[in-house]
Parts: sequence; structure tokens; C-alpha cells
Amino acid sequence: MPSTNPRSTATLRSLPVHALLVPIPLVCFALTFLTDLTYSFTAAMLWADMSAWLLSIGLIVAVFAVLAGLADFLGDASIRRLRAAWIHLLGNFAALVLAILNALIHTRDAYTSVVPGGLTLSTLVVVILAVTAWNGWMMVHRHAVGILEIRS
Amino acid sequence: MKCVLSGMGLIILLLLAACGPRPIDPRLQLGRHPYLPPLHQYLLPPMHVAKVVGWNGAVPTVAPGLKIQAFASGLANPRSLYVLPNGDVLVVETGGPAAPVSRPKELVMNWVEKMAHSRTKPGQRILLFRDTKADGVPDLKTVFLDHLHSPFGVVLVGNDLYVADTDAVVRFPYTPGQTQITTAGTTLCELPGGPIDHHWTKSLTASPDGTKLYAGVGSNSNITENGMQAEIGRASIWEIDRATGAHREYATGLRNPNGLQFEPQTHILWAVINERDELGPDLVPDYLTSIKDGAFYGWPYSYYGQHLDPRVKPQRPDLVAKAIAPDYALSSHVAPLGLVFYGGANLPVRYRGGAFVGEHGSWDRSILNGYKVIFLPFENGQPAGLPEDVVTGFLVDGDKARGRPVGLAVDAAGALLIADDTGNSVWRVSAAD
Repeated sequence: MPSTNPRSTATLRSLPVHALLVPIPLVCFALTFLTDLTYSFTAAMLWADMSAWLLSIGLIVAVFAVLAGLADFLGDASIRRLRAAWIHLLGNFAALVLAILNALIHTRDAYTSVVPGGLTLSTLVVVILAVTAWNGWMMVHRHAVGILEIRS
Repeated sequence: MKCVLSGMGLIILLLLAACGPRPIDPRLQLGRHPYLPPLHQYLLPPMHVAKVVGWNGAVPTVAPGLKIQAFASGLANPRSLYVLPNGDVLVVETGGPAAPVSRPKELVMNWVEKMAHSRTKPGQRILLFRDTKADGVPDLKTVFLDHLHSPFGVVLVGNDLYVADTDAVVRFPYTPGQTQITTAGTTLCELPGGPIDHHWTKSLTASPDGTKLYAGVGSNSNITENGMQAEIGRASIWEIDRATGAHREYATGLRNPNGLQFEPQTHILWAVINERDELGPDLVPDYLTSIKDGAFYGWPYSYYGQHLDPRVKPQRPDLVAKAIAPDYALSSHVAPLGLVFYGGANLPVRYRGGAFVGEHGSWDRSILNGYKVIFLPFENGQPAGLPEDVVTGFLVDGDKARGRPVGLAVDAAGALLIADDTGNSVWRVSAAD
């Protein structure tokens, strides 16, 4: 029986690519918050350097996650009808812009690469991602977005 | 979609804002009391390097009453010069160790900085040039000392020739007239080198009585971003006892001191200092200063006396309280690397007793600054008046580099020699016929 669930457009062997990629930036940016926080207490450059790498890796993967997610969003009108999808899209977009800005601030040398601007942005990004991840979770587990079939 | 577009617009606006304030006229930052604008911290690291185009038969431009000719060309990154008592000219071909990558930023910056330097693989050796006819055209060229480790400073005391590699001052026995040294050197004193070796050029000179050596040891970062552990013994001038090799920090807080020279009239040590980057196109001015025994000149905590640098944590108010301002600002990011006091007899008399400074040139300023050799008159052992451009023409079309001046020396005939590491030449400036 063909699925009537909202369908994913960017797929790898019929599985949604967005779901595969999106945890990587999520984890990178969450860890950036922790390494920034640790740097703000210790002023040991190792933590700030780790933040810079985490932000860069997170952003590179985020580019592909965004492309796959946008394809899904534009590819099926039933996804666009979900409130959770809009919150997920707009929230993640805001988080991405802030993370880019954060990566640029982290190119500064020493203390002001993190405090106060970097740590502020890292915190904001984590707060936004908590909301968008929750909504992404709802999209899959409540609205069955990208779920292929349901046992009958 | 509208949201995506407006978001992209926002990013572009932020990137434009990241470019920073417009540079001021560098002449506002010459002398004892330079104008210091408010500091600016960038979103995008400022990088504006001059594309290297080479000389292709052209020569630098000199001030009236002077002429210039190539003393040597086709070299491999000549950075410093030393003239032996018999008139032989030593040319140090050198390059720094590979810069480690601790952040993604450095991947990009190392790549961009490569473009600002000569493509030639640097020699790690010292060449000797002998000009027996004294016409400015050497007739003998030998490899004087080979297989060195990022050498820079050279000084001869009696029959002891000292070379400052990036990680040690090494002594070699020298006999007057010798054209090649093959005996292994003896380490007099180890200097802070790798694994991180950010400012690697170790300038070297000897006290007038020959008992002490002075080595410039630059900082290991722009502004402590490699951690304070990496800065031990750095950003200072070391005084090394020639007999024992024991050392002490003669002066500290000097971010990257080069061109160490004793002023011949007063016998006071002077140096040119490269100050910190990424606080704006006009901060912090590089400077020429006399070096006071035991003095602290601010780096990393403060600049130009007690102007705090917010990038340094933890701060040290006790040290900042002691920080003194240097003698003479040369304007921002000119990168002075060479200094010589003129005591020769060849150049016009107005140059006698004054100082020549080789300005390697900026890489982080939208309007390039430096890329020339300037002259600063001295009276009673202090700069007196404004600097004058003596050798220019290193830039063409505003932002392409034919060459970049570094180390300076005065040869036996009294002509000024200029090492040009990017143009892979040594230039000789003498009185016009």
C-alpha cells in the first residue's frame, strides 16, 4: 500500500537525507556552546580553538542539511501545511545566520573571539535549536513526514 | 523565500560592515605622539596582500642625489645583511618554519599570506659577496655557511661569528678573508623556537664592548591566541653573555623586535618593533625605539603605554602600570624589519648620523602602507624631524609588489644595501655621480 504520509523529496535509497545530516550541525553547535562556556571560565585557548573547528564543521554540513530540508519543504505541499515545518524552517534559518556570524567572530584572536559576542551567539543558537529540533521531532513522529509506510 | 532573501541581504550587510573603518593618512601616526583611533574588531580577518609581480628589469626609485643598482639578484629569499670588516657582504637567505594550523582561520590565512611572498623556496644559508673593485658589482660569490635553521641575525665579535638561527645563537670561528665556513658551530644559547614559531626572525647585535649579545625574540602569536604558555621568553630582547651563554630578558613587552642596533653616538640599543594586528587599519602603529634596560613596552596587555587590549585575558594591571610608550611611531602595519644608523662617507652629508628603516609593508590594510626604505634624521641620539622616503617603487599600480625591503646594512664604501626578499635581490644605494 503506497504511503499517504508527507513525502521527502531529497532521499537516499528512499530515506530522507535531511534526517541523516541534521544531527551533525545540531551536535556541533551544542558543543560550541559548551566549549565557549568553558573558555569563558578558563581563558585556555584550546577551548576557543575547538569552538572554531566545531562551528566550521557544523556550518559545512549544515549547508547540505539545509539544501535537503529545503527540497523536502518545497517538494510536498502537505509539509508546507504543517505549523511545525514552518517553525523548523524559519528557526533553523535564523540559527544558521547566527552561526555564520558566530564563526566570523571566532576568527578574532584570543578573548574577544568568544567573550562576549561569541558566547552570546552560541547560547542563542542552542536555544533556537532546542525549539526547532522539537518541531522537527514532531514533524517525523506526530505528522509522519518522510515515513514510508505504516503497518496496517 | 522572501525570508531567505532578506537573510542573505543581512549576511551581505554584515560582511560589508566587517571590512572596518577607512584608513587614515599615515602621516598622522609619525613621531613621538601618534594619533590612536578607537579600536575596531573585525568580523572578517582583514587581509589585503600585494600581488607579487617581480622587477622584470625595473629598479627602485631613490631620493634626489642618490642612485641605485642591483648588487645581487636571483637569490632565494634574502632577508638580512651583514658587512664583515674586510668589506665582504653576507646575505642571509632564509625562511620560517611551516606554520601549524590550530584553527580553520589559519588554513585560509596561511594560504593568502603565501601570495604575498616570493614563490622561490627560501635558502637556509648565508652567501658571501666580495666586491674587490669597489664599484658595487661583486666579483666573487660563495656559499659562506650552509644548512642553517631559519637564520636571521649575524654579528662578528673578534674572530667569533654569531648566527641567530630561529632556535639558537650559534658561534662559528672566522678568519679574516675566509670565504667559506665548514666547521660545525657551537651553540652559545638556545632561543625559543618551535613547535609553534610565529615570529621566527631572531635579530642579533653585540654591545660596543663586545661582551654581550642582544637577540630579538618575537612573540609567538598576534595577541596570545596560541596561549600564554607559548609566550615564555618571547616578545623580548635577550641579553646574552658572550663568555658563558647565560641570558636575561633585557627588555620585554616588545611584540616583534628586529633591526637591533647600537646608536653609535650614545651607545644605546635601538630596535624597530612590529605591533599587533586586527584592531583596525590604523592600530597599532609600528615603532622605532631606544631599548631601556628592564623596561616593559606593553605587549600583550597594552599598547603605546597603557592602552588596554581587550583580547588579552587574564589582564595584568601590575604590568600595564609599568608599560612605557616607545620613542617614535612609524605608522600602522608598515612592518619595519631593518634598521641601520648611517656612519658612512659615501651618501650626502645630510644622512650622516641618522637612521634608515626598511619597511616590509602591510598585509592587513586596505590602502597599503610601508613597502619602502625611509630615513629618519637623528640629533643627540634622538630622532629629530619627520621621516623621508629614500627608496620607493616597490609597489606598482598601488597594490602589486615588485619587491619588499627587509634588512639593511652599510657597505665598506658607505653605500646602503637593502635585502629585498620578495624581489630576491640586494639593492645598493650610493651617491649619484
